[in-house]
Amino acid sequence: MSEGMIEFREVTKRYGGLVANDRLSLTIRRGELMTLLGPSGCGKTTALRCLTGYIRPDAGRILIDGKDVTDLPTHQRELGMVFQNFALFPHMHVWDNVGFPLMIRGAPKAERARLVAEALRLVRLEGYEQHYPRQLSGGQQQRVGLARALVYRPKVLLLDEPLSNLDAKLREEMRFEIKEVVTRLEITAMYVTHDQAEALALSDRVAIMNRGRLEQLGTPEEIYEQPQSRFVAEFIGLSNFLEGFVQALQDDRMIVQAQHLRLSVAALPRVTPGQKVLLFLRPNEIEIQPRRDPAAANSFEARVEKATYLGDTMDYRLTLGQGLDLRVQTDARHRHSPGVSVWLHLPRVRSWIAEQQ
Amino acid sequence: MSLARVYWRGLWSGRLVLGYTLLLSLTLFILAPFLMITLRSVGKGWFGRLWFPPQLTLDWYRWAIEVGNIPEVMKNTLIIGVIAVAVSTVIGIFAGWAFGRRQMPGKELLMAVVLLPRMIPPITYALGVAKIFYTLELVDTYLGVALAHVSVCAPYAILVLSATFEGLDERVLEAAGVCGANTIKRFVYVVLPLIMPGILASMIFSFTHSYNEFTLTLLTYGPHTVTLPVRTYLAVGDGYWEITSAMAVIMVLPSLLILAMIQRRAKPERLVGGLKGV
Repeated sequence: MSEGMIEFREVTKRYGGLVANDRLSLTIRRGELMTLLGPSGCGKTTALRCLTGYIRPDAGRILIDGKDVTDLPTHQRELGMVFQNFALFPHMHVWDNVGFPLMIRGAPKAERARLVAEALRLVRLEGYEQHYPRQLSGGQQQRVGLARALVYRPKVLLLDEPLSNLDAKLREEMRFEIKEVVTRLEITAMYVTHDQAEALALSDRVAIMNRGRLEQLGTPEEIYEQPQSRFVAEFIGLSNFLEGFVQALQDDRMIVQAQHLRLSVAALPRVTPGQKVLLFLRPNEIEIQPRRDPAAANSFEARVEKATYLGDTMDYRLTLGQGLDLRVQTDARHRHSPGVSVWLHLPRVRSWIAEQQ
Repeated sequence: MSLARVYWRGLWSGRLVLGYTLLLSLTLFILAPFLMITLRSVGKGWFGRLWFPPQLTLDWYRWAIEVGNIPEVMKNTLIIGVIAVAVSTVIGIFAGWAFGRRQMPGKELLMAVVLLPRMIPPITYALGVAKIFYTLELVDTYLGVALAHVSVCAPYAILVLSATFEGLDERVLEAAGVCGANTIKRFVYVVLPLIMPGILASMIFSFTHSYNEFTLTLLTYGPHTVTLPVRTYLAVGDGYWEITSAMAVIMVLPSLLILAMIQRRAKPERLVGGLKGV
């Protein structure tokens, strides 16, 4: 038996001229929570629907626990799923909603009662057995959805933007709740979302999708710290980009000329002078100092254009002249007013070779 | 009290009087014929220009039941109604599913065809139906008359159930599938309970239409399949106005019963595709 619990093998799905999944290959390990992350239209929902059997891929195979399920109808795939709009059965109360998968499988009454009670305890909804979905709040409805998905201990749990219909505060609470439940049950889970914060907070690994293809696969740290493409960098967190070319190479550093700025950047493998590179800076990795620090490399003068107070952070727009603007976020304790000249210190600059982007 | 306020009050009470007058005339307009028939059915020796019968009696009802054979006729009407409702509802469920949930070319055109029997004059349609039924020997059978009624009832059933199916949440069905339910179980445990209000509405519509249907019955009935509207009409021809009135009153009773049932048990807006908000 392979390590992979869910496996996409070269799955392709076209809608007319649009390729929703382009030879998508992806393996989700046993007990892992993987997030499919991407903007709308990136193919993550198509991938999910291929997995549930709601649509059939044009090519490729899908395996669950080593078994090819590509030709199985949805109801034989033994899945648990949580839906964005909850999709509870409006004519059944909570107890029957949660017990539905067991009832369909013909589980004995006593066992059904035990498992439903257990599932409701898991999502902290004891006492709501006789309520109808419309009598519950959004968060409670989604917990019913989670209980219904988990009640018969499916091999895999699918979550389709389960938090998008909840308000911001509840979303964060539910995030931890889902993570906890999934971890405790040691279930393999595939989580589909377009919310990067959710993906970073929840996942063991994140698969970033773009135009039907897998853009990058890695842990939240890898995705955030070492984005392999401009798309990933832009999608996860905030970012500034600068285009430049390599002027010289010094040991493991390269000097990059980006407009009027000369920066010393960790050298890329197999880079040659003259090559175009794309530099990328996280706004919270740029330091603002009132005076020049002679010891620091990559120090530039800039003028504060706009300063926005965000509570815990300050969000600045700075201009370095010649149409070069940077976005910087710092601790809200040190503030700089618009119009003031400051010194920027760029201790950490990531780069890619430009043609590859 | 300021002058403006006095004027306003005057205007207000004026509007009130006007409103009530309008309401009263409307009620009379609706109720007057019915009131007349009811009075006629219990009046004796009521001739000339009198506004109220001089004597009251229930004799005409006895006549209607004994001579007019109303129990038998009522039985026919109900049996035909039940068959018509059953057939229309089954047609409505299948067609409603297709219209409400499927994308197909020429959907609007098909819907127009379905509604056609209601658009052309009933007598024209009934003549054609009668000709076919004579050939098929369906005239004067319960099934025949009921099938003729279906041509009127089914379009309503289809309309109501299309709206109901349109209101079904696709993702709820998807959820049932993921939970392990195959097509049949999905239908039994999820679809059917959710469209039940629509089915009920469609059945009530169908039944009332079958129950009240006159033209189509007139051209397909026979001695064994006389229905209430036709029996009443024939009694008019016989010239017994009082007995006819008694029959007419008897005929109204089930309709009132159904109306009361709907009012009490279900809100009308929930019956017609009211599932969208659930």
